[in-house]
Amino acid sequence: MKSTKDVFSFFFSLAKKSRKTKIFFVLSFLPVFIAFVVKFSQIFQLSRDIEGIYIFNNMIIAFYLQFLILILALFYGSSVTSEELEGKTLTYLTTRPVSKSAIIVGKYLAYTVLIIFIVTLGVVFSFLVLNLNDLLDVSLYKILFRDVAVLALGLMCYTAFFTFVGTILKRSIMFGLIFSFGWENVIQYFPGSTQKFTIVHYLKSLLPSVSRGRFSFLLFRLEPSSTGTSVFMLFLIAAVFIVLACVLFTYKEYILKD
Amino acid sequence: MTAVIQTQNLSKWYGNVLGLSDVTLEIEPGITGILGPNGAGKSTFLKLITGQIKSNIGSVAIIGQPIWNNFPQFSNIGFCPEQDSFYEEMTGWQFLTSLLRLYHLPTAEITEKADKALDIVELTEDKHRSVRSYSRGMRQRLKVAQSIAHDPEIIILDEPLNGLDPLGRRKIIRLIKEYKGEGRTIVVSSHVLPEIEAMTNQIILIHQGKIFAQGDIHYIRDLIETHPHIISIKCSDPRQLAQKFIQNDFVLKVNFDLKKGTLLVETTNRDKFFGLLPSLFVENQIEVEEITSPDDNLQAVFDYLIGK
Amino acid sequence: MTIKEKGYTHWDGELQDGRFPWWPITRIGIKLTFKRKFFKFFFALTLIPALVWLVGIYVSERLEDFKFMMEGETDFLNVNPAYFKTYFTNDFLLFMVIMILVFCGAGLIADDLRHNALQLYFARPLKKRDYLTGKAAVIFFFLFIVTLVPGIVFFLFKLIFAGNFQFFTSYPWLILSVIAYSILITTFFAFYALLLSSIGKNRRYVAILIFGVYIFSDIFYAIFYGIFRSHYFSLLSIKSNLQQVGAVLFNQRTPVDIPWFYSLMVIVAICLFSGFMLKRKVRGVEIIK
Repeated sequence: MKSTKDVFSFFFSLAKKSRKTKIFFVLSFLPVFIAFVVKFSQIFQLSRDIEGIYIFNNMIIAFYLQFLILILALFYGSSVTSEELEGKTLTYLTTRPVSKSAIIVGKYLAYTVLIIFIVTLGVVFSFLVLNLNDLLDVSLYKILFRDVAVLALGLMCYTAFFTFVGTILKRSIMFGLIFSFGWENVIQYFPGSTQKFTIVHYLKSLLPSVSRGRFSFLLFRLEPSSTGTSVFMLFLIAAVFIVLACVLFTYKEYILKD
Repeated sequence: MTAVIQTQNLSKWYGNVLGLSDVTLEIEPGITGILGPNGAGKSTFLKLITGQIKSNIGSVAIIGQPIWNNFPQFSNIGFCPEQDSFYEEMTGWQFLTSLLRLYHLPTAEITEKADKALDIVELTEDKHRSVRSYSRGMRQRLKVAQSIAHDPEIIILDEPLNGLDPLGRRKIIRLIKEYKGEGRTIVVSSHVLPEIEAMTNQIILIHQGKIFAQGDIHYIRDLIETHPHIISIKCSDPRQLAQKFIQNDFVLKVNFDLKKGTLLVETTNRDKFFGLLPSLFVENQIEVEEITSPDDNLQAVFDYLIGK
Repeated sequence: MTIKEKGYTHWDGELQDGRFPWWPITRIGIKLTFKRKFFKFFFALTLIPALVWLVGIYVSERLEDFKFMMEGETDFLNVNPAYFKTYFTNDFLLFMVIMILVFCGAGLIADDLRHNALQLYFARPLKKRDYLTGKAAVIFFFLFIVTLVPGIVFFLFKLIFAGNFQFFTSYPWLILSVIAYSILITTFFAFYALLLSSIGKNRRYVAILIFGVYIFSDIFYAIFYGIFRSHYFSLLSIKSNLQQVGAVLFNQRTPVDIPWFYSLMVIVAICLFSGFMLKRKVRGVEIIK
């Protein structure tokens, strides 16, 4: 436990200062920019008067759930092992009195917490800007809390999966892109139990079905699982892949090329 | 004395390439030099004894315990890897303190140990600079610092003098000798014989993945002394020079390369040969263009030792 | 000559430019890409649409024979500029182009930055322009195989299957459209990939950027369009801009109702910006702050 904590603080402080994190931070703040544009256009009556919460919900699906969390989880999850191998820094970690599992779990937690923080900030600011007129409406905060929780669960789950992929595959990005934007995007619309083989199915099950509109096709044909099952499955998937990553990392031999 | 590092029939291959073959040895406290030409298997050996890679056959024990996946052992081990790689976005100070944190030490102790290590390798003034901006020598010293910062009993250094200037080399050699005085076990690899010679008498010769010789360096030195050296001299009158050389018993053979205008001399005593050379040039007014020793390298010595 | 101290002497020779100094860079780039795991398999997949379109051209000349398979509509088999435009601007092809860039473009400059190899390049008689040309040519090579080559093959096979030059006389400009659009799309993606590749030293990070920026631009458009219902936001989408210009080059109606040259301006602006940034980023000496 102590080892995991030490590894966590090592990589959390390292990652939060990195240039890549800053770029991803800017990327996750683009919806805030959109929110400002929308708000100004509404104030100056340049666009139709759509409810802030409606735009917010659609943004969560289109931008965060189907794009940003996948990109962040893919990069940071695969980095857990790959960046040590590519940078040949693995030796510095594996010659310390910390177990290999602690390295994986500590680093995974550091990156997951960091990207949850990045995403949450973007979501909260977008929410506040879009709902500027209804900030006293408590029911809206429930939606915010739910959406943040869903995104955090998504990040937890996807990052665990890509951590595992990174420990098993040398070139995990191509596989990750195909999984994220191929498998996850297509299989989720398959009928019956097939769609349950995607992570996004459980995430979308936690969100209410959106009324038919421009973005409704994104939820089309979703046969949602119950909230309890979805949350359980998301935790289970994350735990299984992290355990697998730990086992693999402990017993697999990584040879750093000179 | 009890052996600190023991290997039994240690073998490692990478696909079809043999890295190390059937190495059985014991390393006791003090400095042990691992000597061998590039690609001999030195780094493979060091990676195996630090648990970086798994052996295909055989075993490694550090203080009687296996090393692979035995992470508590690393409290006692410091390893300086060969590769020039760092967490580039960190400063030297952050690099050291972050790694020290993995030893579960209190913050005050981490600070104290990091300061001490940086002081030893003389990086205190540059500790807040990004590692990215360090020179090759500074990076090498930082690598050494991270291997000694936690005060380990066993220090394993893979080519620690690479990229260091003569002054830096001397300092690291002095440091290693000091550690020996404290009763620690230090294993140092190099492909440069004089470097190892400056640190220790105990050497292990590795060649083509096998331990070729182990023991006192004087034994190796004696072998090298008897190794006939070839020296090539390009001068204005090679025949006259040859005539003078053959009068000495330490010159075994002379040969001419008339196209290049060079004289090839084979001698059993390099020191005597080079002692005589200047006076011969002056007395006979011979103009010298070039003096080279085609086989004055470790590979040649190894070739000689293994009887190629 | 006696032994003496040799000092620095100026080289008085004349530096002769090779005819194609960038070619070794291109050759090694192509070779390394083919060596990447699964690339050959993946690259073969990207040629599937070309194969399908080619079969379509064959069937279009044998409609009578295939009548039993076609029920009703056969308009889509009418080989005309629209047929070519559909091939060149379909979402799948553009997506596959991006995936090819992830394979062959991500590491082009990033790997050199990572290994401090730029100074090795520029220690040779090689100009910055040659270096960038060499890298861009790698992208040209792969993208031409999925754009220009199939376009020309479609054209030639249409003539061969038809057995006359009627198609050529009807659309004499079409082959120029194929060449122009292939050059446009390839040049744009070469600038795009090289710019992103010069941003970081980490190939994985660049790969994600190449993919992410492309998808992201489209999502941005979708969100803004959803809110404002204005097609002018299509200018934010890389895909949409390429499709707009593509439609015009093939003499077809643009997919969205805005002036096509706005899209062309966006494409040109991105290329110019990329060129400017590449000039700044690619240099033989690393400046450490």
